[in-house]
Order: sequence, then structure tokens, then C-alpha cells
Amino acid sequence: MNIVSVLEWVERAGLSTAIREGALLYPIIGGFHLLAIALFGGMLVMTDLRLLGWAMQRRPVSDVLEQFRAWKRAGFALVVSSGLLLAWAEPLKLYRSPSFWRKMALLGLVGVHALVFRRGVYENAKALDRGLTLRAKLAATLSLLLWAGLIVTGRLIAFDA
Amino acid sequence: MPTDSFFEWLTKTPWAKAMNGPEWAFPLVESLHFIGFALSVGTIAIVDLRLLGIAMRRQSASELAADLDKWTWTGLALMLITGPLMFSADAVNYHYNPAFQFKMVCLLLALVFYFTLHRYATRPTTPRLLANLAGAVSLALWICVVAGGRMIAFV
Repeated sequence: MNIVSVLEWVERAGLSTAIREGALLYPIIGGFHLLAIALFGGMLVMTDLRLLGWAMQRRPVSDVLEQFRAWKRAGFALVVSSGLLLAWAEPLKLYRSPSFWRKMALLGLVGVHALVFRRGVYENAKALDRGLTLRAKLAATLSLLLWAGLIVTGRLIAFDA
Repeated sequence: MPTDSFFEWLTKTPWAKAMNGPEWAFPLVESLHFIGFALSVGTIAIVDLRLLGIAMRRQSASELAADLDKWTWTGLALMLITGPLMFSADAVNYHYNPAFQFKMVCLLLALVFYFTLHRYATRPTTPRLLANLAGAVSLALWICVVAGGRMIAFV
């Protein structure tokens, strides 16, 4: 049993067909995906801009990071779960789309970024109140670049077919 | 009321031709549109959640709105440059598209609301109930803009 036949089986199954062929379901889930990107993306950008010292400077770093943390996690969960549903609707198309695999590679790098920087930067906000470190600025810059890349590769998926 | 010839002229402008030229042009501009969208609607939504009293409660709505303002503007500028560029690439079809028309009406309402009542609502003197209401209306309007935008490709 190879991967393509598994994906073909997914595409024939009920949920996948329902999302793909329901006139409204696919755009509604797509809309959720977009709204979650706005909510999560806006907070992510403001967090990283604060770490660069470019935004919300009158607030301590810890104030900004702590207040956004729960919202960003909720937003991320919403982006990923709506994205999974969209992928479930057309797994074969995505399997053959180079942009999709580039996007997944970037998503993997987001995980690496979290492993490298979470403890030293994002969960170490109190220490950053005394001054922004080079490490924090590097984390913020890489985070912004990774998420811009995710948006570009995500958009390109629609143009691959 | 502009006629079809105006939209036909739009599709023949140099920037529309550039959009329809290399195959990476449209996705690139669309990606910038998304980044501008995340920045503008994202920062407005943060203020809305504060007006509703459910996020960022360590600072006032007025402080938050003042701090986020220039980033909202950056996002709006990016969105309002890239949006018309994409529109001119296929202006005749877009302006007949009901989802596009819905999106434009909602966008106009959302922007007018943002620059008037939303601004008023973030003042420290605004009664809490009115602030809550403004946050909810603003979120609802932007959700309609996104929903309309998403539907453009499906109608």
C-alpha cells in the first residue's frame, strides 16, 4: 500500500468529499483559516516587533508576551485545525504540489525555532525586561521571516495545479 | 457610475499588464495583500478584544490603540495598494462578482467605522457598554470583509 492509494482512499471518504463538494463548507473553513491567520498573525507580529524594540515600547516585554501567549496558542490551534481540514479535502493535489511541501518544510522550521528560542526568549520575558538581547532580536527576525514564508508558500499552492 | 469601458481600460493599464505578465506576479502581490491583512485586521482585532474586555487588560484601550496605530496603518497601506492591483488584473469580472461587491460594501463600512466610532470608543471616557459594542461591531464587520473576500473565488 503506497502513499498515493492512502490519499485516494482519504479523498473518497465522507468528510473529504463533503468539504470538497459542499458549496459552502470549503470557503467557510477557508474563511476560518484566514481569520485565525489575522488574529494569530497580528499578535505574533506585535510580539516579535516588541522583541525588536519597534512596537509597544512603553510596556515591558514580559507584559506584552504574557498577555499575547494564550491568544497566540488558541490562534495557532485554529490555524492548524482549519488547515488540516482543508488539506483533508484535497490530499492528492497537495501531495503533488511543490509549494505545499515547501510550506510544510517551513512549518518544520517553525518547530525548530520554538525548540531553539522558546526557553531562552519567549518564556524568559522577565529577564528581557532588563534589556533586549541579540538572541531575542534574532528570534524575532527569524520568526517574522518564517511566517512571511508560510504565507507566500501557502498562497502559491493555489497556483501549482 | 463607472461603465464597463472604465473596467476594460483598467485591465489594459501597465500595472494590470504587469500583474498578468510573469506567473509569479499575482501570487506575490496576493501574498503581500495577506501580510497587510494580517497586520491591519490583526491589530484592529487586538483593540477590539480589549474593548470587549477579554484581552490585554493590563493597559487601557486608548493606550493600546495609540501603540498599535502605526502598524494598523502600515497594514492598511499594504492592503489598499495590493488590493486594487489585483482588481485591475481582472477588473471586468471582479466588479460583477457579488462576493466582491459584498466585500467592498463591508470594507467601506469597516473603514468608516474604524476611523469614526471605533476611534471614539477607545477614549478613556467612553462608557464600558459602548466600548464593548464598538468592539463587537468592528469584529463583525471585518469578519464580513474576510468572508466576502474568501467567496470571490467560489461564485
